Amino acid sequence: MTGSNRRRAYTAAACALAGALALSACSGGSTPEGTTLDEGEPYTLTVWTNYTTGPGQDWFEGLAADFMAEHENITVEAQHVQNEELDGKLQTAMNSGDAPDVFLQRGGGKMKDMAAAGQLLDLTGTAVDAPEMREKLGDASYEALSIDGKLLAAPQLIQPGGIWYSKDLFDEAGITELPETVEDLEAAIGKLQDAGITPIALGGKDAWPAAHWYYFFALRECSTETLEATNESLDFSAECYERAAQDVADLTALEPFNEGFLTTTAQQGASSSAGLLANHKAAMELMGAWQPGVVMNLTPDQKPLPDLGWFPFPQVASGEGDAAAVMGGQGGFSCSASAPKELCGEFLAFMNSEENQEGFYEAFGTIPLHDDAKDVVTHEYDEQMLDALAGASYVSDFLDTNYGQQVGTALNQAVVELLTGSIDSAGFVSAVSDAAARG
Amino acid sequence: MSTPEHVRLDVSAGPPAAGDGAVQAPSPAAAAVRGTVPRRPRPWRRWLEIVLLAGPGTAVFVTFVILPVVMAAYYGFFRWSGYGPPTEFVGLRNYQLILTDGAFLEALGHNAFILVSSLVLQGPVAIAIALLLNRRMRGRSLIRVLIFVPYVLSEVIVAIGFSLMLHTTGAVNDVLERVGLGGLRQDWLADPDVAIWTLVLILVWKYIGFAVILMLAGLQGVPDEVREAAAIDGASYWKTQWYITLPLLGPTVRIWAFLSIIGSLQVFDLVYVIWGQYVANTAGTSTMATYMVANGRISGAYGYGSAVAVVIFLISLAVALVYQRFLLRRDTEGALTGGAA
Repeated sequence: MTGSNRRRAYTAAACALAGALALSACSGGSTPEGTTLDEGEPYTLTVWTNYTTGPGQDWFEGLAADFMAEHENITVEAQHVQNEELDGKLQTAMNSGDAPDVFLQRGGGKMKDMAAAGQLLDLTGTAVDAPEMREKLGDASYEALSIDGKLLAAPQLIQPGGIWYSKDLFDEAGITELPETVEDLEAAIGKLQDAGITPIALGGKDAWPAAHWYYFFALRECSTETLEATNESLDFSAECYERAAQDVADLTALEPFNEGFLTTTAQQGASSSAGLLANHKAAMELMGAWQPGVVMNLTPDQKPLPDLGWFPFPQVASGEGDAAAVMGGQGGFSCSASAPKELCGEFLAFMNSEENQEGFYEAFGTIPLHDDAKDVVTHEYDEQMLDALAGASYVSDFLDTNYGQQVGTALNQAVVELLTGSIDSAGFVSAVSDAAARG
Repeated sequence: MSTPEHVRLDVSAGPPAAGDGAVQAPSPAAAAVRGTVPRRPRPWRRWLEIVLLAGPGTAVFVTFVILPVVMAAYYGFFRWSGYGPPTEFVGLRNYQLILTDGAFLEALGHNAFILVSSLVLQGPVAIAIALLLNRRMRGRSLIRVLIFVPYVLSEVIVAIGFSLMLHTTGAVNDVLERVGLGGLRQDWLADPDVAIWTLVLILVWKYIGFAVILMLAGLQGVPDEVREAAAIDGASYWKTQWYITLPLLGPTVRIWAFLSIIGSLQVFDLVYVIWGQYVANTAGTSTMATYMVANGRISGAYGYGSAVAVVIFLISLAVALVYQRFLLRRDTEGALTGGAA
């Protein structure tokens, strides 16, 4: 830790303490300027990621070593934190003025909260904001991580959601055409049920997998304008939101989900929803682009599922939304308020270079964001997703991310209640609206 | 904290005789002869002793118990997402929302249900088992150990085990199907009519061993003479238990009930592991503690969550105080050192 860095830590700690003692003089609101390093000044850049798998860590350590070779005065020090632990750990670190310089950013409401507390560095004008970077990673990705024209994180990936299915089970049930509309999907569900196959795996215990069904129905039912307006206003009075809830209820009425879906987890073990798909116990699951990796770990031989396929979420007849709209998790990396701004921008630009994005695809198996890295994609489903993104009229983040933790959590819980029939579509809308009013 | 001896010393030692303490240290034998009044230490030495002995414990208690409670009470007045210091003061709004939120009232109802059913189900069974195990019989030690085993297991392990067995496609339903009792198949965890009973039965299974051990210990305190006298008077075994043993077991039962009530108000681990972060409410097994985590930490509403914590604290405190005042008073009479001698 350098001298100035330590001073900052003390100041921040003092602010935190003062805040705790009912003073609020140090509160955020303004975007901090970060710090600048003198030429050749030694510095340790701390980075927190959620890369807990072997290949992921190898990829990061490799690029960190390359970066350090180019910058002799810099040491990159990474901590790879378990995904579910990361947010809490980060929050504690920020509140005690001990945040890492660079850290994984999930975007959405959480990023808004961090920005409002003055914890994020504006990366506008840094190396990662250069026009050629913007062009290669896509302006839309930059937009998703900007607030009021300030770039608060550098985009790294997008993980579009869609329906993953087993080609073998579809063949067995005699489904020849992939569903394009909800009617098609319902017909496919019928055929699978006739063949004695569970049509859809659902990890209801984790709530968000169930909520995905609602998000995608809303994406198809609501126009882009309505969706974007709601991101700001958290007003769910538009009729399309109730229609989407009714779509979920109608789908549930067909009983397409695995038995006991309410207490089924999403990703843990063979009895989880991903495990059901991996072991041919269910034919479909609505999931993000991370699914192949999760399924791979749950097949009997821990090898990729050979007959895994993907298709975009089907269109609904009454929908105002575009059939080509895409929803998925977007993410990147932010720099904390006290980090050296220029160095941070350089590191993030380096992390997202063509070469490193290619390595990212190989290490994690999720499609790269960098245009020039897209030629390394091998799987059919990855190509389909890239096509879907290229032709997308609108790219939305998952709704719970957009709405922030409080409304997002209430939304996910309300979908679970909708699935079990304890509330109807009107009750669903009022439950979410109540949470929005409270939030 | 002063022991009874200290208290008596204060009163009986009379006015301090300056200077005589250090010089005229009486020999142990003399002290024994004169009673139990050794030399009286000077005030500052008494204070040093108190500070040295009670200081570290008090510091830890204040830092990790009192201060967090005070902080939670403070945060409870804010709308705060947990980033940076809380700035948006909302007064009592959080408390108003909590007490009008149907989900919280449901959770409170579940806690009350768990509280009553634990007392009603565990108490009589535990006393019966304790009476049984208090008689000489073969394999008594083995049964005692087996009954205590569930209590020793970690709650998380119990919860994972039961959630696997009781899942709709789990072992319990499978066994029922195979022995021809398919009609008894239930959605043990997901059906809101059944799930709370599942939870209560798991709690009974887990904590009955603790109750039995307490009752057994209580039974050791029932003097044999009383029972013999009853037998000589011609009382049957059952009459002896009803009129002699049970009344003498009263203090133990009241302490056990107190622990059970406090435990029922705090149920969290089992529910959180079996039903996860989201579905406890839908399955009808949410408790005040799971409500706090779901609407505080997971929702990123730390101000609101703190307010829920304060509400739980006040409810538990009120229950504990009322119970101590009205039911435990006769047990603790004379056993506690009051300020006044």
